Amino acid sequence: MSRARLIFIIFFLTAVLIGTVHLRVSASRVFFRCRKAIVEQDNLRLQLGRKQLALEELLNPSIISEHIKKGADAPHEERPAGR
Amino acid sequence: MTTQRFIIAFHLLMVVVFGLLGWRLFYLQHCRADHYANEAYPALHAFTQEEPQRGRILDSGGVHGRVLAASNKIQTVYVDPGIMGHWDDVMQTAAALQEILGIDAMEFCDLVAQRRTHRFVKIKEGITEAEREAILAARLRPVGIQSEWRRYYPMGALTSHIVGFVGGSADIDEPDRVGLAGAEQQYEALLKGARGKYVFLVDKRRYPIGLDTQKSTPARDGSSIILTIDSTIQEFARSSLLKQIQAYQAESGVAIVMNPWNGAILALVSWPDFDPAAFSKTDADRLRNRAVADPFEPGSIFKPIVAAAALDRGLLQKTDRIFCENGYYEKYRIGEWAGHQFGYLTVKEILTESSNIGMAKIGQKMGQKALYDAVRLFGFGQPTGVDLPGEDAGILAPTRNWSSFTVTRIPYGHEISVTPMQIIRAFAILANGGSPVTPHIVRAVVDDAGNVTELSRKSNLAGRLIKQEVAEWIVREALTNVVKEGTGQEAALEKWQAWGKTGTANIATNGRYDTVNYTASFVGGAPADVPQVVTFVAIRKPNKALGKGYSGGRVAAPVFREIMEKTLTYLEKR
Repeated sequence: MSRARLIFIIFFLTAVLIGTVHLRVSASRVFFRCRKAIVEQDNLRLQLGRKQLALEELLNPSIISEHIKKGADAPHEERPAGR
Repeated sequence: MTTQRFIIAFHLLMVVVFGLLGWRLFYLQHCRADHYANEAYPALHAFTQEEPQRGRILDSGGVHGRVLAASNKIQTVYVDPGIMGHWDDVMQTAAALQEILGIDAMEFCDLVAQRRTHRFVKIKEGITEAEREAILAARLRPVGIQSEWRRYYPMGALTSHIVGFVGGSADIDEPDRVGLAGAEQQYEALLKGARGKYVFLVDKRRYPIGLDTQKSTPARDGSSIILTIDSTIQEFARSSLLKQIQAYQAESGVAIVMNPWNGAILALVSWPDFDPAAFSKTDADRLRNRAVADPFEPGSIFKPIVAAAALDRGLLQKTDRIFCENGYYEKYRIGEWAGHQFGYLTVKEILTESSNIGMAKIGQKMGQKALYDAVRLFGFGQPTGVDLPGEDAGILAPTRNWSSFTVTRIPYGHEISVTPMQIIRAFAILANGGSPVTPHIVRAVVDDAGNVTELSRKSNLAGRLIKQEVAEWIVREALTNVVKEGTGQEAALEKWQAWGKTGTANIATNGRYDTVNYTASFVGGAPADVPQVVTFVAIRKPNKALGKGYSGGRVAAPVFREIMEKTLTYLEKR
């Protein structure tokens, strides 16, 4: 076996090893980012749910009725005379 | 030569060394593989449990309808005092949390000092998104954020008795919260979902770098349910009922609005009600759904049912004139309400004037067996099957326990106990021409993928409990006349022809009826030709001393009118 061939084989094996490690690290990193994104997406979904619930509370027919009743009971403001 | 020997010896040594290493490798990788894999497993893996999101409860508007109950996560900040080594750490954390959450640093230090051995000390519940991000950015090692589901009831007390509430589960294999009342309890199996488990491969910092899909099972969120309840009609019913209860200083009240053609309940109010989010602080009496759990003596609202049964069996003709003993039936000790005195009355007049004696005589014409069978046929003495927990069957004694008076008492609603749900179901049967219906509050189920499955609840309109012409005559002639000329004139509607029956039932106290406590009720529907909705209203113990009246016609009929006016207008314009 010539020296050049030996160097090539060692170089090739080292490159494969480094490549494997790199791919492994990349896979882990991508997985971690993916999980983070899933958690973030869930979080955004929950924020949306919170806002929807707050809106539902505002649209509660009982509260609307109370507002209408209060509006009807309150004395009407005098309107400024039209020009 | 020596060198050659040395090389051979060296090679042999290497072979032996590598042989030993190979054997050791084989021993570790094959013979002891399971042992070391088990030892290493916890260090290489992390486990998390995922609580499922409990299904939502929506009103009749469907997927885009109003949300009556839904779960959402709240974030809780906690600290682990076990990993705070020195007081410097505590002070540093306290200062950071004071800035982010606004909590007092000294109080935080005291709290940590008191719970030095604890691994979880709750600091603040329900933090905002900005606070969460600030805590994460601060990278405080002893501080963590935990998420947990919380159940919200945006309609508050409005739909409390329908939706119910959830509470802590005693079963550790089940999700944290289980339904304890209302639809939450009845539909627990659909709503709860299934808990998930994730197994992650982790690096030395315990950051997840892979998912063990073989050993992981994702959580399955609960299905949502769509109710037949319309929040707007519910509000009409609740506000009208509550106004009258307050005006008459009454003890309690029930209002139910139902579609008579399929038994769908559009509104159900049982007052007193409660806030489902604070049920644990509520008096147990307020938690009782009186619409299904409280049987009462119905009084005169029971009369049309017995009259319809007698007409249906041919034991009575519409033209028959019954002598009403001029106000007092001495043999059976029965008087008329408010001291009225009637001579001969037809069935229609008996119902219009609400004659007790006339009904007692109809009962006698029927006899014990026919009366019992008819009442049973209309579903009394047995649960209606409504999909709400805690339904009472009411009380209908078997004929062997009847006294000689019973056959004259049941026809005007004494010696029998019924629930509001049983009464409205019976009137729905009259309204739809005699077909049985099953009252229900759930219309459809939405699975976690969003597929909507309508539940088949159609009434069997081909099978009738009584003849169609009898049911139609009772509604269109007799009960319409009650509203036009009889005791129910306060129930008359402007745009539609209403029909119905009033009831003013004595409440027995210590085994005797008194003259102070009554249940004022009205049940009926509109329009008379093709009834769109039937409504039941009962107000228990209106304050007679106010001098404003206490009868069904005076107290309950106006509530019926208000609910019907608003509901029919709403349904027309929707």
